[in-house]
Amino acid sequence: MRRLRIALQIGLVIATAVAGVRYAMGTSMASVEKYCPFGGLETAYALVARQRFTCAAGELNLSLFIALLLLTLLARKAFCGWVCPLGAVFEWTGRLGRRLFKRQTYEGLLHLSPRTDAVLKVVFRIAVLGVILAATWTTGELVFRGYDPYYVLFSAHGHDVRMWSYGILAALLGLGMLLPLAWCKYLCPLGTALWPFSSAGRLRLRRSDDHCTGCGACSRACPQALEVSGVPEVRSGECTLCLECTEACPAPGALELHWKGRGR
Amino acid sequence: MKLPQAVVPVLVLVCAGLGLGAGKLIAVPSVVKDLAPVGGNPLRTTVFVVDGVRCVDTATRAAAQLAGVPGAVRFVAFASRNRVEITFDPAVTGPATLREAVEGPVYDEASGEYLFNVFDVVEVDGVRVANP
Repeated sequence: MRRLRIALQIGLVIATAVAGVRYAMGTSMASVEKYCPFGGLETAYALVARQRFTCAAGELNLSLFIALLLLTLLARKAFCGWVCPLGAVFEWTGRLGRRLFKRQTYEGLLHLSPRTDAVLKVVFRIAVLGVILAATWTTGELVFRGYDPYYVLFSAHGHDVRMWSYGILAALLGLGMLLPLAWCKYLCPLGTALWPFSSAGRLRLRRSDDHCTGCGACSRACPQALEVSGVPEVRSGECTLCLECTEACPAPGALELHWKGRGR
Repeated sequence: MKLPQAVVPVLVLVCAGLGLGAGKLIAVPSVVKDLAPVGGNPLRTTVFVVDGVRCVDTATRAAAQLAGVPGAVRFVAFASRNRVEITFDPAVTGPATLREAVEGPVYDEASGEYLFNVFDVVEVDGVRVANP
């Protein structure tokens, strides 16, 4: 399963980069923006209020966003761990940082206290999402293009990308080595929008006390640095169902995927 | 209920397929502009795929290209599909004239200059067209 996920991530990163280069060279009319589900959320207000799309966001963005909501209600943040090309790049940077700084877990060199982590996850990223949506909805433009690491990385120097955009991207990648998945955890507006849906997601990983040896390999393998070994069920809305924990687990049957039924 | 791990990639692929496929079922225009009052003659609509029409701004610019073109009645753009639908009076104008107007030099208010090759019609009513 791990190989399949990595193959999918590599394939999507390459496909997105190729799409960006083709658009920049004029051999394709489909920009990488077309495939970003967040565009669907950005354009939702204009669609309801004016029956028009915002800027370059369109039908595909909207349908991808709706499909993503469905996926999140079923399989939580599987999009982030299996599909998102930017998520893949930040996951790889986190891995690189882990090797470079010889860390046992994905907690990173910058260790945040649980309180700071919670504050950043709640206050900071909700503020980021709010500012982006408010600016987009009031101006009718995708005003944060130049700051968007997905667009900067894959658009092959697209419209609105400036030199400082690369500086921001480099800073985020650097931060991603010190604090794995910092973008995804604390800044990504799409991740924030999905969060409540992800928390209600039906697919859950359950740990069986009967089989678990308590070695903690699952927690060490989790790219989101979730405490998998300490809970009977991974309820965090951050779980991407990447299944790295189940791959790392040496005890068969200790960690299994379950469908969360009503009232359980 | 216990599930096999393969259910995760299956759900991912199914939802990705749904998202990519359902986009074709939605049709909401980015720009709608009435260029002239509808006359008594029967009207015709031609669909152009225009390289350069990619957002609301560029679609608005393309609509401005048709201002004052006799017979052009209505402009509707679906920017994310690079698609433009122009309704016109066939007794007055035709797709070739409309194409010429769209592809013509664009006046840029910011610089006060005319810009060339901003819009390039690549398809008319589903038929790819040759470009000089």
